[in-house]
Amino acid sequence: MLEEAGFSTVVLASVRAQAEKVRPPRALWTSAVLGRPVGEPDDPAFQHRVLRAALALLERPDGPVILEDFPEDPPGLRDTPGWQPPPVPAWSPEQSPAGWAAAVATELKALRPAWEAARHHRGRTSVGLSFQPPEAWPDFLRGALSGELASVPPLETPALAQRFLCDDIKAYYGEAAQAASPAPSHRQLDGWFWRQTAAGAALIALRDVALASNNSALRTVGGRFFVPVPWLPSPV
Amino acid sequence: MARIEDIPQPTRDAVLSVPCPQYDTTPFVPGKPLRERRIAILSSAALVRRGDKPFPFGSGECRFLPAGLDTADLLVSHVSINFDRAGFQRDVNVVYPIDRLRELAAQGAIGGVADTHYTVMGSTDPAAMGDSVAQIAGQLRQERIDSVLLSPV
Repeated sequence: MLEEAGFSTVVLASVRAQAEKVRPPRALWTSAVLGRPVGEPDDPAFQHRVLRAALALLERPDGPVILEDFPEDPPGLRDTPGWQPPPVPAWSPEQSPAGWAAAVATELKALRPAWEAARHHRGRTSVGLSFQPPEAWPDFLRGALSGELASVPPLETPALAQRFLCDDIKAYYGEAAQAASPAPSHRQLDGWFWRQTAAGAALIALRDVALASNNSALRTVGGRFFVPVPWLPSPV
Repeated sequence: MARIEDIPQPTRDAVLSVPCPQYDTTPFVPGKPLRERRIAILSSAALVRRGDKPFPFGSGECRFLPAGLDTADLLVSHVSINFDRAGFQRDVNVVYPIDRLRELAAQGAIGGVADTHYTVMGSTDPAAMGDSVAQIAGQLRQERIDSVLLSPV
């Protein structure tokens, strides 16, 4: 649409099949993980190579519809050998809302030094969408698991408050787990969070509560946007 | 992952079955050498400044990102949870490569970096984005920018 308006565009395409269907004027496909269009975090040299290859397409005269493949895989695409997740206290899979809240509170406390270290090292955190500090998360989670429909201004609805709480919890754990080098692959990180932490299990439980709610927005948002589909428990 | 075999099921099937817009025309705007072009970024990550409201689900709006914005305050508010956030947690540039573009400009590889960049919510019907395209085009013209790097998550 921007090209139609008179501008030259180039897209970093993550899914080649989609680029083949949409046929943008210029696209560079990369094998990077979905969500990392420029490739490898903390690797400026790799990112420069991706960007130089993409921007070079702007000088090509042989369009429209140029689709090139970037030849390198990001170094972090595959699992990191020997990566060990940060230790978290043991937890029980059968929990009341208060039990989940206590288990998550214990984990948050255990992970806090790593999260603070990551925050200090990077000078930033991607926690912040829930409009609640980490100290408030366990009690809000307890209420949500109990079926309470609280909202957190400026998020207007319980569905949004719960959705962005999920995002913040995942961000906190992700930053804590990536505080030390070498960092895990995205698969290792997801596997740890969704299968080994109380928070991951609590969010799966929260999804079940949302799906049983009388609040239709919460049913929709909880069903689709709390737990990534690949990490939903297998049907018994 | 964006090798299709690297995307776990059932997300893989969902990605492949996403309706893709089809266009009757294939516009192609040539231009100056790269060394003379200033580049703007358009990210589909629904980036928001800390403290701002997230993008509404399905919103066709766009938001402007001044080049001087502190990237430490950027958060991803995209509706989908089926793409990785861990890379962004470590390095904003995997989504919004503002530092890398500045470095390429300093190296002389590109002419410069735009004063304004743009973000929209991906997973949105492009038909809902007509006003946003007009807003972006207006700002690009005002800044005399002719080239845009599209960075979809």
